[in-house]
Amino acid sequence: MSAPRGAQGELRFLDPAVLAHLGTLELKSRAVVEGFLSGLHRSPFKGFSVEFAEYRPYLPGDDLSTIDWKVYARSDRYYVKKFEEETNVECHLLLDISASMAYRSSGVSKLEYGSMLAASLAYLMHRQRDAVGLTTFDDRLATMLPPSARPSHLRAVLVALDTLAVGQRTSMAKPLHLLADAIDKRGLVVVISDLLDEPETVIDGLRHFRFRGSEVIVFHLIDPAERTFPFERAARFRDLELGDELMAVPSAVREQYLGALRETIERYGRELGSAGIDYRLMDTSTPLDFALMSYLSTRGRAR
Amino acid sequence: MFGLAFLSPLFLLGAAAAAIPIAIHLFYRRAEPVVEFAAMRYLRAAPVEQSSHRHLRELLLLALRVAAVALLACAFARPYLTGEAAALTGEATVVLVDTSASLSAPGQFDAVRERAGRAVREAPSGHAVAVLSFAHAADVVAPLSRDRAGALASIAALAPGAGATRFRAALERAAQELAGRPGRLVVVTDLQQSGWDAASGGAIPENATVAVEEVESPAANIALAALRIEGREAVAAVRNFSRQPVADQVVFTLDDRRVGAVPVVVPADGSTEARLPLPAAESGVVSASVDDRAGYGADNARYAVLDRSNAASVLAVTASGHPSEALYLERALAVAEGPARFQFRALSGATFSTLGPAEVEGVSAIVVLGTRGMEQRGRERLAQFVRSGGGLLVAAGPDVEPAVIRQALAGVAAVAWTSRSGGTLSLAPSDTRHPIFRLFGGGGALGNVSFERAALLEAPPEAVVLARFTDGTPALIEEGGHPGGAAGRFLLFGSDLNYRWNDFPLQPAFVPFVHEMLRYLASSRATRSEYLVGELPGEQGRIAGVAAIGAGPAARRVAVNVDPRESDPRRMTAESFQAGISRLRATAAQQARADERQQEDQQSLWRYGLLLMVVALAAEGLLGRRLG
Repeated sequence: MSAPRGAQGELRFLDPAVLAHLGTLELKSRAVVEGFLSGLHRSPFKGFSVEFAEYRPYLPGDDLSTIDWKVYARSDRYYVKKFEEETNVECHLLLDISASMAYRSSGVSKLEYGSMLAASLAYLMHRQRDAVGLTTFDDRLATMLPPSARPSHLRAVLVALDTLAVGQRTSMAKPLHLLADAIDKRGLVVVISDLLDEPETVIDGLRHFRFRGSEVIVFHLIDPAERTFPFERAARFRDLELGDELMAVPSAVREQYLGALRETIERYGRELGSAGIDYRLMDTSTPLDFALMSYLSTRGRAR
Repeated sequence: MFGLAFLSPLFLLGAAAAAIPIAIHLFYRRAEPVVEFAAMRYLRAAPVEQSSHRHLRELLLLALRVAAVALLACAFARPYLTGEAAALTGEATVVLVDTSASLSAPGQFDAVRERAGRAVREAPSGHAVAVLSFAHAADVVAPLSRDRAGALASIAALAPGAGATRFRAALERAAQELAGRPGRLVVVTDLQQSGWDAASGGAIPENATVAVEEVESPAANIALAALRIEGREAVAAVRNFSRQPVADQVVFTLDDRRVGAVPVVVPADGSTEARLPLPAAESGVVSASVDDRAGYGADNARYAVLDRSNAASVLAVTASGHPSEALYLERALAVAEGPARFQFRALSGATFSTLGPAEVEGVSAIVVLGTRGMEQRGRERLAQFVRSGGGLLVAAGPDVEPAVIRQALAGVAAVAWTSRSGGTLSLAPSDTRHPIFRLFGGGGALGNVSFERAALLEAPPEAVVLARFTDGTPALIEEGGHPGGAAGRFLLFGSDLNYRWNDFPLQPAFVPFVHEMLRYLASSRATRSEYLVGELPGEQGRIAGVAAIGAGPAARRVAVNVDPRESDPRRMTAESFQAGISRLRATAAQQARADERQQEDQQSLWRYGLLLMVVALAAEGLLGRRLG
């Protein structure tokens, strides 16, 4: 249902599948972020995002160009818009590039969705003058760009995201612990992954970041087919990571499959929530601005 | 050691159709699509099959399909189990020793032992040796082995009996003992002419040779050929098998007490009768004997029983054996008293199938009211009962399956009927002089019976229609009792006798009708108080004298006598004997084929084949559904 809304011109509701065809990752991320920000003014969550639309009474010495004349016309008082953050946050984007992220039932793959999400977040962070870094991993660390707020650094992040190569199998414990140890300044850690690993080791790795004082937000990416298991015919299901096959009759195993999935999601939600980690389940057909909203609410705590 | 053979092996070609499921399997075995999937972690949590398990299951499915096709082909090929799997190796010599009554003359059996012993000793060194004794039946006294001392010891223990010579039975048993081995049969016998019995079966394998060791017969023999009771007199028939007239005396006893002796002069190769009035007695055993020291000893005495069996024993075979299934028949028979009374018993078809020959032997008449559960053995027992003089009534009611009766009485009576409905009928005798209907005069009382349902009986040409329904179709048919056929009588009634298809049991005519019908059936059996040696089962049937047959209240005594043909010392030549064997060989293949058919028919393995096929298909269906 999101595509028709995109056709109405509201970029913030662009379907990720449509977005994927827009062009460079920079363009995509800009489209998402600009659309998101323009919508934010009309959003019912207006007070929630004070970083971008903060008004304060005019004080002598303020730049006259920052006075909002429309507000003055309505209230007969001088208010100025404040665009810049006063404190910068060091943001770490951690993107899972394991083979399972390459899965797509239709539209975009989890990796494509994850890279668009990471790019959008990077763009947004850069706009807020936050330092942004990117780390990709599978069972080891693949790419690591330390956080920086320089404009050229955003381009480097976007290029890295644009040229991702699918990795090997998922094993999150080692990369997470390595990175947690490497971060020496408290900041915001954004993990984008399908979390197809032992929940215990994943949770343990994420808690490590919290232990080091960072705010953590986890985007758990899931494909619509993974979420609903819509298969009808008996088939041999081949593991994208291990290559082994399982014969299954979907009607016979659907209930157990969905039960196991639900149980895992509930566990992540419960245990990560109790650890103070923001956990977001993201269907790859979900518009990206929901993810941005999550980021902003968590960033508020990180500041 | 059992082997599997097929009556129609060409149908096994149908098993080639098993290639169809194999081809389908090979063609479609990779038909499932391969779906690349990431969240295998959750899929593994579900009870899914590994591919290897799937392949195993597919193979099982294929095996079930192939088995179903093969079983179908197998069932059509009519399989049966053969007694022996295959021809055994090694040659053998089987010595057949004649122990019939015709070898009971003085000194005769010493010669038999000597010749039999010689046959064992002179058997080729590589041969295994077996010894069989034979008269009316053959018995293995020393099984096939290389223990010649044991064989000689068994020969030394043999003695002549009272049985009649039956070469066919002996040769057939010897062929079984050879079990396909090549070998030789040595027959030690007096070559009695009456020994070739056309009634018995027998076949000699092609790879067996037959040698004859002849034993001399006595030049003369005096035999008591018959003993009967006529009123108060005992009548003995004495036969002289010699070229000279013979003077002798017949000694009569009653219960081992001598009651008199009658001198007789028997002409050369002729016979005469000796009569003696007997003391008044309701029961007892009469014997008559002659003193013939030169001829056969076994035929010098004969026995007769004076006992009058007061009650005719009637056995009803019903569907389940529950008393209610023969209630009206039982009540009707229960009213008879005194000498004309009946002894009644009802059994299920399954129980009847388990009865032994002795238990059926004492029954005068059998009424079949149900065939459910009647196994092959029970069917054979029915046919044997009629053959041996028993009376059988089949009421073609709802519990009687025509096919079962037709198969049971094949060769005894040509039975056929179909069910029909509608139309109220009544009964009218065709011949009022018949013993069953004599009591009814014009048959008016039977006309009141109302038949709601009746079977449509098909009367074969040799059958007599005793009564008809008012639409002209047969109501009561009699078969048997004619020369060349079964000794007993068979009646087929075209409706039931238990108030289900008609109101007959409620009519006054029912009791006399049932009484007369069963008395008529029982009469053929009741008169038989004499059997020949070998006719009765068990040890008591092997010796001449008095035997007890039947069980419980139906028990009675009967006389067992030597077959009169056995008293005739006339011999055949060794060439004639060999010619008889050649005829056996010629018919061996025919016989074998008939035996195969009979064996297959009795075993009916094709039913199990079809059952297994259905099971295989059901299992295939279940497994197939699980595979999706």
